[in-house]
Amino acid sequence: MSGDFTEIGRALPRKEDRRLVSGRGRYLDDLAFPGALHVSFVRSPHAHARILDIDSAEAAEMPGVVGIFTGRDLDQMTTRLRLAPPIEGLQPTELTTLPIEKVRFHGDPVVCVVATDRYLAEDAAECVTVEYDQLPAVTSITEAFAPDAALVDDSLTSNMVSHQSLCVGDPAARRAEAHRVVEARFSLHRHTHVPLETRGCVADWDDGRAHLNMHIGNQVPHPLRSQLAARLGLSESQVTVMSPDVGGAFGQKIALYREELTVAALSRHLRRPVRWREDRMENLMSAAHAREYECRTRTSVSETGRILGLELEIDEDFGGYCFYPANYMARVIALIMTGPYRIQDYAYEVRVALTNKCGAGPMRAPMAITSWVMEGTIDAIARDLDLDPVEVRRINALGPEDLPYKMPTGELLEDVSPRETLEIAVDAIDVAAFRARQAQARAKGRYLGLGLCTVIESTTYGSEFYKSAGIPGSGHESAWVRIEPSGAVNASVGLMGTGQGYESPLSQAVAEGLGVRSEDVTVHMGNTNIAPYGMGSRGGRGATAGGGTLYLCALKARERVLAIAASMLDLNDAGGLRMRAGQIERMIGEDWQETGLALTDIARRAYLDPLALPEGITPGLDFSHSYDPPAMTYSNSTHACEVEVDPQTGAITIDRYLVAEDSGTVLNPIVVRGQQQGAIAMGLSGALLEQVIYDGTGQNLSATLADYLVASPNELPEFEILHHNTPNRRTPAGIKGMAEGGVMGAIGVLANAVSDALAPRGVTIERLPLTPQSIRALLREAAPSSTKRTQP
Amino acid sequence: MKPAPFTYHRPASLAEALALLRTHGPAAKPIAGGQSLGPMLNMRLARPGHLVDLNDLIELDRVRVKDDMLEIGALTRHHRLANAPEVQRSLPLLGAAAASIGHYAIRQRGTIGGSLAHADPAAQLPLIAVTLGATLVISGPAGTREVAAADFLQSIMTVDLRDGELITALRFPLPVGDLWAFEAFSRRHGDFALVSVALSFARDAEGKIDALRLGLGGVDTVPLRLPEIEARAQGRLVDVDTIRDLAAAAAAAIAPEDSEQVPAVYRRELAETLVIRAFQSALTREEGA
Amino acid sequence: MTAPTHDPLTLSLSVNGETHDVRVPARKLLSDVLRDDLGLTGTHVGCEHGVCGACTVLIDGRPARACLTFAAQMEGHEVTTVEAMGRPDALSALQQALHEEHGLQCGFCTPGIVVTFEHYLRENPDPTAEEVRDVLSGNLCRCTGYQNIVAAVLKAAARMRGEAA
Repeated sequence: MSGDFTEIGRALPRKEDRRLVSGRGRYLDDLAFPGALHVSFVRSPHAHARILDIDSAEAAEMPGVVGIFTGRDLDQMTTRLRLAPPIEGLQPTELTTLPIEKVRFHGDPVVCVVATDRYLAEDAAECVTVEYDQLPAVTSITEAFAPDAALVDDSLTSNMVSHQSLCVGDPAARRAEAHRVVEARFSLHRHTHVPLETRGCVADWDDGRAHLNMHIGNQVPHPLRSQLAARLGLSESQVTVMSPDVGGAFGQKIALYREELTVAALSRHLRRPVRWREDRMENLMSAAHAREYECRTRTSVSETGRILGLELEIDEDFGGYCFYPANYMARVIALIMTGPYRIQDYAYEVRVALTNKCGAGPMRAPMAITSWVMEGTIDAIARDLDLDPVEVRRINALGPEDLPYKMPTGELLEDVSPRETLEIAVDAIDVAAFRARQAQARAKGRYLGLGLCTVIESTTYGSEFYKSAGIPGSGHESAWVRIEPSGAVNASVGLMGTGQGYESPLSQAVAEGLGVRSEDVTVHMGNTNIAPYGMGSRGGRGATAGGGTLYLCALKARERVLAIAASMLDLNDAGGLRMRAGQIERMIGEDWQETGLALTDIARRAYLDPLALPEGITPGLDFSHSYDPPAMTYSNSTHACEVEVDPQTGAITIDRYLVAEDSGTVLNPIVVRGQQQGAIAMGLSGALLEQVIYDGTGQNLSATLADYLVASPNELPEFEILHHNTPNRRTPAGIKGMAEGGVMGAIGVLANAVSDALAPRGVTIERLPLTPQSIRALLREAAPSSTKRTQP
Repeated sequence: MKPAPFTYHRPASLAEALALLRTHGPAAKPIAGGQSLGPMLNMRLARPGHLVDLNDLIELDRVRVKDDMLEIGALTRHHRLANAPEVQRSLPLLGAAAASIGHYAIRQRGTIGGSLAHADPAAQLPLIAVTLGATLVISGPAGTREVAAADFLQSIMTVDLRDGELITALRFPLPVGDLWAFEAFSRRHGDFALVSVALSFARDAEGKIDALRLGLGGVDTVPLRLPEIEARAQGRLVDVDTIRDLAAAAAAAIAPEDSEQVPAVYRRELAETLVIRAFQSALTREEGA
Repeated sequence: MTAPTHDPLTLSLSVNGETHDVRVPARKLLSDVLRDDLGLTGTHVGCEHGVCGACTVLIDGRPARACLTFAAQMEGHEVTTVEAMGRPDALSALQQALHEEHGLQCGFCTPGIVVTFEHYLRENPDPTAEEVRDVLSGNLCRCTGYQNIVAAVLKAAARMRGEAA
């Protein structure tokens, strides 16, 4: 299918690069606003405390200070965020723009100091005195669910902010008839996104027009505008959101955060531009965290390892505030858990806890733990039954004959290839040869391990998904394509890239649909006055929703262009015409031949000589289109990696890493490969190094980049990527989403590889991150011989 | 993360720097490479009223071998130290340790004096200085004094440096044994080590250990030299049993801090492993030479 | 003991071969002065504690963290920023290789990497991949996984040595 494309699939280097590589990108802090005021937030030193008194008298007199504002002040300028979607088991929540009564985590913003520069704002912030009455801090899921737990949110009846369950088929019956019931546990630690550019915004209130210009690096400009307008009591006509170049987001730049709303409200209040750029300590402590889960599986299996039924429990630590409905991330995990395997009897229970930590949000692959849980379960089955883990995968994996496959949750898998990517990966890593090397190494006291992890990656999230999930929102996308009088091609879509490199692949989608060169298309994104209302960038929807809509819109434009061309060539219809690289060609005999007519000629006619247009064709070349993609498009992949564990230090070395990927039609292989590499790197970094650490009193101990460890090049391997792309037959051009599956696979494959390495010692990895000290702790407790032992 | 206000001073000579430090007393803080002090200033963990910039004191940027001593000026940058021919010839252990400090850009700016004054218990240079019995040359209101590195380093970020004093040089006695190794274990490349080991020794005609110097970093509030282990090694053949015995004894001799993140038992295990690896690495290097 | 004075200093700074006079407080970081006072916004601020490497500039030709340096310290020294190392329409060999090898995504860390390796490759024209990774360890990148950056540096090195690559 992709063989028919001329622009889609080209390895076109990124259009963004020239400005970015030469230091001429324009990120938020690079935008100059004369006279702009700077803010600094006074943040809570406590995890949980009542605010008794705020004394800012001394600070207010300090040089450069323009104003000092508290939660009570902001409550007059903004409305509260109420999240109450009609989802069974979800408690409604409401929060003020800044806390008024109490703080809920270490780093909670309490007071906003506005001054003429950031240095002076920080000087004054130090002098604001807040008197607190400390409350018991809830710092774990267990504590949150304890009967006598302190309430994180006083308006709720318990800390269990969300609780859902589902039972399909009869898992209990399967358990009764099973050859064996295999139990496994998985504990994933708290991560944070660490975009190299932290959050920030410039709010520029235009007092004459009563209009807010909000400059902010954000993934979803239009939904953000809706939020800003609603919370400030403005109409959507009174707010423009403009996103400049963005230094990474990974899910951290979706919500309207309290700091950003505060800055916007204060710009309007003070009638001055106000700016905030969060520093790194604020980012690590207070922006958003992610991924803290405890999962348990109970799997009923036959003698051959065939899965008869699966029961899953997920508990999530959601932190102190809900910026998203609390069921949001964990639900997707439960929804797609069975993933690449034939399972019909399935039950899940999902519980979400509020704790006195930074609020959780989606982070690149919000469902990241899924593949580790499923693939770790597969390995647990193999261990328990003494079967080959590859064989257990084979007899359970979905093959072509099973498709389309309706998962027990109702999710539909089609045009996926989990069994194929498994075989490609198994073959490429040469499992048999590895086992021989492993046996030799073990004889010498060396611990080599091989992991496998097959991923079913949910992407795109069409409106049908939101409807069935009961979440307000839509998954459609809108685009426009405009051919200017000169023949220049402009286009726009509601996405906003945050570093992925949208400009080339999206211009390729337009170029393909229209019949021009990608180099001649410019795609405009991030300005809500220019772009059509769209749902933005999240959930791997850029390619299918964004690229797909642009492609369809460009097809519409092409139809009009060819109709005008036909009339200019005195043809009855456009049937024998096409446009390639902006030149109109005509099929004569068996060959496409040049007509001498170009897009520029047609544009001139459309704009400057409209009376010459054929009847029924309106002047100009301006097109818009919207498109609602399928509920979900699924990509898949199988990761394989070899590790060596140093039993003396607990250090893990990744000796080889490969992944077989099915990402559907690829708009731009350079960009897709970069996304695959980056996602795997993020997964490995998280599994090996990263960890948000709170102590027992809720103090954040990981607020610098010397404490929150992100992988350097020396901890990461080279990635071998093998392609097995199956176009999706239900989307324009066969596009699927991608860019999150690498995280899912990396976490699972690494944990499985380390468990395999340590199998002679009976050690199984149930808890991440895989720090050397944690590996040593497991080995210390393990008997020297093969007595099974798991993590504490 | 912006520093609190201070008055900036830029003395042109050591005398001028000392005069400024004397004038402003405890309110003054010297800055050289700024690779450790800079983050503390930005986080306002350090808030001196007066910052005295030593970067113009180029007379303190020097490496020289004099008789039985290698002298390194306090303003010598790690990158220069790592690459100086004098260091590679006379004290390659020091060069190797310096080459492992932080990252490339950090080593271009960071100075030996700054590293010693900052006294991170896991830092490379304090460990090498203690292990090899180096002395610091310190100038101050009362003139110039010399103090052994082991006495200078008192605790975490606490050193024997009085008001108005500056480190001007570090002196290593020469020669040292020609077998050496530096082993460090850190979570990431370039991070401060969880545990590090420096050792140096010679072998006599019969292949027996002579003049072992063994130091461990990251296992206490200051880097530790282990004289009992050094004595235990004297005159023994460097074989597997000796190495294991010394490593076990070294691990037993330390009492690292115990924390939830890094338990004491783990640091002790690392110490034992790294001592073994250091001996192996020293012997391997000699075989290769 | 004299009281601290917080009056702005008048500094004469030599940046990218040009002399600039600025009036800034002593405590103002070089990264902030380059960006706010000189408009050289290619030097990015990523952590302000010397870890991420995004703000790396050259001081007298050698890489240094601008966030750990005060502008006041730079009188009498030459500062070079990414702006001096190529333009969008005239990329350096290293920048061109980063483009071709997809060695950047969001681009926020990229100026620090360009500055570090423009210097490093002059002193080390034929590095191994391992040496490149060692030097690159001082520049955090959250997007790429580093593989393509290493490839780009090696490609640029080969080209700068005059080899076809």
